[in-house]
Formats: sequence, structure tokens, C-alpha cells
Amino acid sequence: MTNNANVAAGQQKLRSKKGHERRINGTIYTVLVVMSIVWLVPFVFLVLQSFRSYKLEKGGMVDYLLPKHFSLDNYAFLFEGSNFFSWLGKALIVGLIVAAVSAVLIHACGKLLDKGEESRGRRIALIGGSLLVGFVALTALTAAMQGFVLAGSWVKVLLSLLLFVLAGWIMARVYLKQDSKLLRSIPGYVVEDRHEGLKKFVAMLAEFLVLGIIVQFILAPMTMSQYVRWYINTLTIALFTAVLQTAIVLSVSYALSRLRFKGRKLIMNAVLVLGLFPGFLTMITLYFLLKQLGLTQAGAVPGLILIYCASSGMGYYISKGFFDTIPKSLDESARIDGATRFQVFLKIIMPLAKPIVIYTILMAFMAPWGDYVFASYVAFGHQNGYNVAVGLYNWVNTNDFQNYFTRFCAGGVLVAVPITALFLALQKYYVEGVTGGAVKG
Amino acid sequence: MASLKLEHIKKVYDKNVVAVHDFNLEIQDKEFIVFVGPSGCGKSTTLRMIAGLEDISGGTLTIGDRVVNDVEPKDRDIAMVFQNYALYPHITVYENMAFSLRLRKMSNEEVHRRVCQAAEILGITEYLARKPKNLSGGQRQRVAIGRAIVREPQVFLMDEPLSNLDAKLRNQMRAEIILLRKRIDTTFIYVTHDQTEAMTLGDRIVIMKDGYIQQVGTPQEVFEAPRNLFVAGFIGSPQMNFLKAKLVKEAGGKYSAQLYGLSVPLDEEKCAKLAAKNVGSQDVTLGIRPEHTQLVFDQTANTIEGTLRVNEMMGSELHLHVDLVDGTSVILRIPTLDLTEAQRAGLTYGSKLRFTFPEKVTHLFDPKSEESLLF
Repeated sequence: MTNNANVAAGQQKLRSKKGHERRINGTIYTVLVVMSIVWLVPFVFLVLQSFRSYKLEKGGMVDYLLPKHFSLDNYAFLFEGSNFFSWLGKALIVGLIVAAVSAVLIHACGKLLDKGEESRGRRIALIGGSLLVGFVALTALTAAMQGFVLAGSWVKVLLSLLLFVLAGWIMARVYLKQDSKLLRSIPGYVVEDRHEGLKKFVAMLAEFLVLGIIVQFILAPMTMSQYVRWYINTLTIALFTAVLQTAIVLSVSYALSRLRFKGRKLIMNAVLVLGLFPGFLTMITLYFLLKQLGLTQAGAVPGLILIYCASSGMGYYISKGFFDTIPKSLDESARIDGATRFQVFLKIIMPLAKPIVIYTILMAFMAPWGDYVFASYVAFGHQNGYNVAVGLYNWVNTNDFQNYFTRFCAGGVLVAVPITALFLALQKYYVEGVTGGAVKG
Repeated sequence: MASLKLEHIKKVYDKNVVAVHDFNLEIQDKEFIVFVGPSGCGKSTTLRMIAGLEDISGGTLTIGDRVVNDVEPKDRDIAMVFQNYALYPHITVYENMAFSLRLRKMSNEEVHRRVCQAAEILGITEYLARKPKNLSGGQRQRVAIGRAIVREPQVFLMDEPLSNLDAKLRNQMRAEIILLRKRIDTTFIYVTHDQTEAMTLGDRIVIMKDGYIQQVGTPQEVFEAPRNLFVAGFIGSPQMNFLKAKLVKEAGGKYSAQLYGLSVPLDEEKCAKLAAKNVGSQDVTLGIRPEHTQLVFDQTANTIEGTLRVNEMMGSELHLHVDLVDGTSVILRIPTLDLTEAQRAGLTYGSKLRFTFPEKVTHLFDPKSEESLLF
């Protein structure tokens, strides 16, 4: 009897505990829902406004949320006066053709190499030959498509040559890594190899598409509207900063994590203290320095890249913490295997530190992408040097506020798209990167 | 394949912590050398200096005819197997083994031939397409060894390669290393803290303690003629028993040891050595290996008496932990077959027993310097 009573009491206790949990969870979810509404409403509002026709309704602020006429007027305005879409279409076609030609060439190379002896000379000759054929094909194609005569500009010829060397490098890399014949003779390798091969092929296609766009950009510049120019400015700054800053941050972190040199602790501590000062403190000095170098106003884009990369080595902390978790014996083993420090970094540490590399790239890309303060004073009134943030702000600030608000919204939406896509695609690595560095450090 | 010469090699950390003192050793071509010692004795540090992973603070290191003190590890033509395997986790076993060859710009055919051959030797052909995380400990160790042998290096370094494996696998891999050594005839330097591995693998053993070499010799030599108390205690399992005794010099160059009321005359060889060193009567530490003791059930014999504390039944033999009258603990290793049922039944906690030892197998050490008196 007492036993039963105990059980009953226990069950009741359990039930009340469950109820308690449910109440807490309910509260938490309510708070979260309210908060996300508070956060999201402005964005929803912004997106809705961007679809309100500025021709049919007022282009400025209105006292209703839902637009009466949905249209793409605002977006059309952003590209007005620019041949952006036809340009992009042509660029993609060039890229695709380059990719297709290269794929055929690589395949032919592979077949030839698989048949004969694999001597270095043959390999170089074959790759060189295919490079030459590819180069002629590429330039002819572009010229034909654009009605563009190459003879007029040596610089452009040289540039496209450089790009094609880059393409050749990609090609050679893809082929040399394939080792198709050898790998096939290992049991169990084939399936994985096919998968890897497919992945490599897709990656190669993407690389060639990008290459085609760059070739197009140099050989046949598009006519730009204000907004497209700002957008390309922002993209250029962010891409260069992402690459340079990532390279700097990762090498600094690796050095601090692996090398033992005099003053290492001192540097780390000094950098930590220096990092406590906000970057804005240097604003005026930076402006004068850049002015002396001619990197303000018209030279705002390279100037800004310089500013964003300048102190990037100071952000070593998270990636150093991550590198510290990779066992040192891997480095040692690779060094005994014959790798130089740089090869160890590139071939062993980088692949293992993928989350932190992606995290670093993301962070380095984001900062200049949304920056207003530095961008506004370096460009200082020179419209062609604006980035999107500064340009859009000027629309609503100096131009007719009542007319430009919806177009401002459309510009904002387009800026948000790539960064959102990046985050959605890479969020897994992002979380790994943020927490990965914290394990040890 | 190369000989090594280590002359006055020294390692100093942070200007005052000395890890290795004045290390002198010549390693012959194709020799299997084992560095053994307790942790912190400097054996791994010495190995890492040979590998080039640690700077050498003093002395010269020669591989072949080349002084390599300031040569990068990659240019020393050595290969190393690490305790924690240190396999590259992001690439397959095949690529792990091919890594060093590809860095040397070897042709794909050659890479393939060597990797397959090494995989064949180690029996890991079927795992070549796997990543290291999908392998068991023993397989990983094989891959680590495979990664080292594809290089066909001049010197093969192994840093406690078996200590991460379980006991059974360790015995198996030990046997495989012996076989491997027969197949790839090259110079080996092997670091371990396990005296069994040292005894079974090494052509010569280097026993180290606190950064000093204690003794260098073949397994037979260090077992039969340990140079000091430390070596005597370190080599052999269970460890050697040390008893306090008095060495008495008698007329005619004869010596005898007296302990626990027992007088043991020493054999001629030992007497000659002692006489040559001109040793007088003095206190000594007498060393007897547990396996050299014999139980005596006959009361009249010339024996030492003790009280049995622990009786460990190991199957083929008994390990008897015995306390002597002065509290000294002694271990006796007695083959089970030598005893009758009744005698074995009598070996219970607290029972008195008597034992003796042949005088031939005794070791004599100076209690102060801890050095052997027989050198």
C-alpha cells in the first residue's frame, strides 16, 4: 500500500516537473518568436517596399505597409543605362565554351599520357600545346563575339595571355591529380575516384566560368549604371580583402602556433592590447596617408583594400587556437617526409583547418561588404569610388528623399542576397569555425 | 643504409635544463639500436635530434659521412614512425604512403610500385583506399610503418611505435618488426620504455637515465653483466633482487660474500676481476635475479630464511614475494614443475621458507657509487 502511494507520489512529482518544463519552454519560445518578429519586420518591410513601383506610387515613405502596385521598377532602375545582363550572358557563354574546349583538351591529354611513357618532357609538351591551342581558340572566340579587334591594345592581349596561363594551370592541376590509370588498378579505389573526379570536374567548370567572366570584364568592359559600378566596387574590394586578409591571418596564426621564435609571446600580447583600440582612431591619419599615395577619391578602391588588409594579422586569435588543436606530430611527420614549412602549411594544415579557413574568408568578406565609415571618407564625394553602402546612403540623403526610398530598398535587397546565400551555404563551417577555435587557446 | 656517429651530443632547454649530457655512440650500418630508459631519460630527445626535429645544443651528429647538425629533417634521408602514428587524416592510406614520394617528384609508376610493394609487405593492400579514421590501431601503425618504408631511407627511426597498442597486438607487432627488419635491411633506431621490446628487438641496447648513457651492449651483455645498479634493476622482469652483504677478502686472492649468516665463496672468474681491481673487504650490494633462486626444503642446507608474503601463480612459474629477517623484500621465480603438490600447498601467506642461489650468477655492486665491482 505504502509502496503504491510512493509510486503515485513519484509520478505526480514527475508530472509536475514535466509541466514546469513545458511552461519554461513555452515562455522561451514566446520570447524568441516575439524577438524574431521584432528583428524581421524591418527586413520584410524593406523587401516589400523594394517591390513598390516608384512610377505609379510615391517613391518615398508612405503610411501603409503593403504596396498597392507590385512591380520591378526599382530593380530596373538600378540597371538602367547598363548592358549588364547581355554582358553577363555573353560572359557565361564564353566561360562555358572555354570550359568545354578545356575539358576536351584535358581528356585528350589524359588519353595520350595514359598510353605512352610518362616522361616529364612529353607531359610539358602536351600541356604546352593544349595551352597554345586553347589560347588561340579563346581569343578568337572572344574577339568574334564582341567584334573586338585585339591588335589595338597590347595590354589587353598580355592580360588575356596571363589569364590563359592561369587557365592552363587549373587544367594541368586537374589532370595531374587524376592519375586515372594508376588509381584504377587499386582495389576499392574506383568508386571513390569516380566521385572525386566528378567533383573535380564540376569545380573545374565553375573555375572556367569565373575565368570567362574575368576575361570578358577585361576584353569587353560593360557600360555601367551608378548602382552597378558601386556594386562592382564593393565586390572587388570585398574579394581582394577576403583573399589577402585570409592569407595574412592564416600565415600569422600558423607561425604563432608552430614556430618558436624570440619575442613570440611579446608580439601576441602586444597585438592583443593594440586590438583593444578601435580602428576608427586612426581614421584621420589614414586619410592623409592615403591622400599622399593618391589612393583617395578616384583611387578609393585600392585605398580601401589597403585599409581593410592593413591590420588583419591582428585577428590571428581564433585561427591560432584552431591550429593549436592539430597535433604537432603531423607537422613533424610531414617535415621528415620531405615537406618544407610552406608545403606542410599548404598540404597538411590547410585541408585539416577547412572550417577555420572558411570562417576567416567569410569574416574577411563581410567586413568590407557592409562597411560605411571608411568607405565614405576615403571616396569623399567621388561618385565612382563609392561602395554600395555609401552610394545608397547618398541617394536617400542628398537626392530627393521622397523619390528614392523604394530604390534604396531595392539596392539594399540586392546587397543582402549574396551574403545571405554565402551564410546559408557555409553555416556548418561557420559554426565549426567559431567553436573550433575555442577548444584550446 | 648508413652508419651514424653521435659525438658529445648535448641538449639544453632554456639555457639551464639539460636533457641529454654528452651522448657518444657509434651505430654501425644495418644495425638495430634500441634506446631504452624510464620516461624523461632523454631517449626521445636524442631520437628527435637525430631526426632533426630538435636543435642539437652541442656535439656533432654524422650520418654516413655527412655532418648533419644543421641539415633540415627533409634532407637527412631518414624516416620516422611516431608514437601516435601521425597519419594525415584528410587523405587515403595510399596517399599517406605516397606523400613523401610525390614531394620528391617521383613518377607515378614508381610511386605506385613502391606503395603497392610496401602495402604487400605489411598486409594493408585492401585498406589502401580508406581514410585513416576507418582503420584500427594496429592497421594505423602498419600504415605509419609503410609510410616510412616506401622512402627506402638511410636510417629508420621509431619513437615508441607500439606503446599505443594493446598487449596482444603489441606482441604481434613486435614479431612483425623483427620480420620486417629481416626484409628491409637498414639501420634502425628504436626508442622504447619497455625492456622486453628492447631485449627482443635490439642488436645493441642503449640504456639511459636522466640524460646519461648507463650502458651500451648486446641484450646478452646488459642482462648478464650490468654495469651498475640501475641497469641491473631495469633489465629483466621481475627486477633483480638487491641484498646487503659483506665482501670478505681471504688469503690467496679468494673472495667470499657474507649475508644473513651465509658465506658464499665467489667463483674464480669474479675473484680474478676483484683482485685485478684490488678490492678489499667492504660492504657490497649483492644482486640476484629472481629466476636464479632455488627453494630448499632440506633444513640442513646453507640457505637464507624468509617469510612468504605474496604467492603469484603465473601458470608455468610462481612469483614468491618473500620478506627476509631485516625486512628486505625478495622475489623468487620458481618453475611450477619443480615443486610437488604438497610443496606448492605449503606456500601460503606467512609460511617460512628457505632459498639459495648458485654463486656463479651473483652480481656485486658498490653501495655508494652503485657501480658494478666486476668491471
